[in-house]
Amino acid sequence: MTQTSISRIGRQSLFITLCVFLCGQAYAMPDEACMECHSDPEMTTEMDGAEISLFIDYNIFKETIHAENGCISCHEDADVEEGEDHPVPLAPVFCGTCHEEIQQTYETSMHGEARLIAGDMQAPKCHNCHTKHRILPPSDKRSPTYPLNIPDTCGSCHKEGSSMTKEHNIGQTYIVQKYSMSIHGKGLYVDGLIVTATCVSCHTPHNVQAPNDPRSSVNRENIIETCNQCHVGIVDKFKKSVHSPLVTKTDKMLPVCFDCHTSHNISRVGEKDFRLLIAEQCSNCHTHESESFFETYHGKAGLLRGGEKAAKCSDCHGAHSIMPITSNKSFINPENIVQTCKTCHPEANEGFTAYIAHGTHHDKEKYPALYYTFWAMTGLLVGTFSFFGLHTILWIPRSLIERFKEISKD
Amino acid sequence: MENEQVQTLYIERFNVVQRLTHLLVILSFLTLALTGMALKFAMEPWAQDIAYLGGGFVVLGALHRFCAIVTFFYFFMTIVMIHAEWKDSQKSLLTFLFAPEGLMPNLNDAKEMLGTFKWFFGGPRPYYGRWTYWEKFDFFAVFWGIAVIGGSGLALWFPEAFSRFMPGWGLNVATIIHSDEALLASGFIFTIHFYNTHLRPEKFPLDPVIFVGKITVDELKHERPREYDQLLGSGELEKLTSRRSPRGWLVKMAYTAGIFFVVTGSILIIYIISTMYQYISSH
Repeated sequence: MTQTSISRIGRQSLFITLCVFLCGQAYAMPDEACMECHSDPEMTTEMDGAEISLFIDYNIFKETIHAENGCISCHEDADVEEGEDHPVPLAPVFCGTCHEEIQQTYETSMHGEARLIAGDMQAPKCHNCHTKHRILPPSDKRSPTYPLNIPDTCGSCHKEGSSMTKEHNIGQTYIVQKYSMSIHGKGLYVDGLIVTATCVSCHTPHNVQAPNDPRSSVNRENIIETCNQCHVGIVDKFKKSVHSPLVTKTDKMLPVCFDCHTSHNISRVGEKDFRLLIAEQCSNCHTHESESFFETYHGKAGLLRGGEKAAKCSDCHGAHSIMPITSNKSFINPENIVQTCKTCHPEANEGFTAYIAHGTHHDKEKYPALYYTFWAMTGLLVGTFSFFGLHTILWIPRSLIERFKEISKD
Repeated sequence: MENEQVQTLYIERFNVVQRLTHLLVILSFLTLALTGMALKFAMEPWAQDIAYLGGGFVVLGALHRFCAIVTFFYFFMTIVMIHAEWKDSQKSLLTFLFAPEGLMPNLNDAKEMLGTFKWFFGGPRPYYGRWTYWEKFDFFAVFWGIAVIGGSGLALWFPEAFSRFMPGWGLNVATIIHSDEALLASGFIFTIHFYNTHLRPEKFPLDPVIFVGKITVDELKHERPREYDQLLGSGELEKLTSRRSPRGWLVKMAYTAGIFFVVTGSILIIYIISTMYQYISSH
């Protein structure tokens, strides 16, 4: 063979390879081919006894994040030769092909295990939250994952009366309603503050776990770090306070954020509903102090309509910086207590702070003044009522006789 | 002898000043009791209802303090009136205060009290004068009450000022004294006093004299025989009696207001008693 023939073969082979390659390309299903059928709004099919639409709004799909990938990048088995039918139904799309990390996280989540391992069809897969053909980033207002839409997206299953709620015991009720009335919900819906906490802020988007699962972002062990995503200042204070496991070593359960603030009912601390709640919440652990508190003026006033401003536990003890009274950082330490009382009583003085906030007249050793005063007064009452009560009772028959005498006179 | 139609003779027991004062006492006392008990028993639903209907805790507090001022006022006015009476009488202070038919308790009252217990068991009815011992007790109980409730109340009203010369735990003591004395006062008025004046079978359902002012001379003769005899003997009786019966509208108003006050007080004390019964039986 001459040199010219070898190079000629080389060029011919190259040309043929190029042709075959290009022809192969020409036969990859373009989106237009799919849309020949799937642009028909009336196109439906039956699956599991229900009629489902096969219409794809390409105008929207064009704007999605996956537009440039083409239909067959997800629907691999739809890539058939021209003129052939693609298999029906198509195989389920596996987002993990590209979204590997999220897929792995999802697989070990509660939603993932329920759907993939237990086969629970009411547990969400990717498309239940992200849609199929309208996948838009969370920054896009139209996306179901846009902050303003998140509660509705989660709420489509996590609401009273849904088929999911009927068959699963979630443990929390009226979640979306409570959230809407909470400080976070009001921030979102009333102020349009999209940086406020939504479901995914606390529960994570793809690693939702049951609260009693130690992997859960809202488990007792983890909730502080979850709230710390935003409430850094408060968590800083809390970690130095007496309620933090870093400060108090105890077997007893220490309170975490939701013990005082609840999970979804989180309201502003000046609001009536929070103030009415807080005395109850503290009483879960501090029963004795709570009982004696309700015997004092502050406790009683707070129970009446209009009395919500009366001092509650957190007004005197602090909320996140609670320290034992012996610490000079404690709100009720003698160094600080006059200032604390002055918050509501501008004329407070040292004598004033000697008021016993948790006293009881039952304790002779600790509070003798209260004990003896109580029993002296009780003695006075019992004595007076006994004497005059007897007087009254003994008068009754005599009085009846007098009355009948009068009546018979007429 | 002419066949005279027997006309009823009336005598005034309480003049208009005394009657208006007592109305003031009733209005302020009832308000104090309602507003105060709503706080003392704040954990009870009925107390919360009172607060709700009354316009809330702040309104109740304002009403309570206002009526406390009214109470100090009528107390002060009573002292002023007694002083004026004393000056009028031109007697020495002690003679005036301890006049035999005056309001000061004396040995005769002790005898009458004993006599009354005997009467309960079938003995003769005591020879009661202008004021019976239970009326004198009621009168002076107010002095005691105002001193004790008023004093402790002022401490609770101005806690910062009081704790300048009294330790702060004095406020806890003041609270016990104030609320227990209030319980004594309200309890006593709504049970014993109501019984003595209105609810005893002889008077039931109401004795309107404290608003109407006049009673019949027959009633005087029966209820206060010593007073009747004294007035008859001295010739005063004729001067004090009249044929004019109390005005119809006054009697109607007296009964309406009276029944309303007695019922309100009774309902309140029933709630208080049932609540206290529950507390005591559960401890």
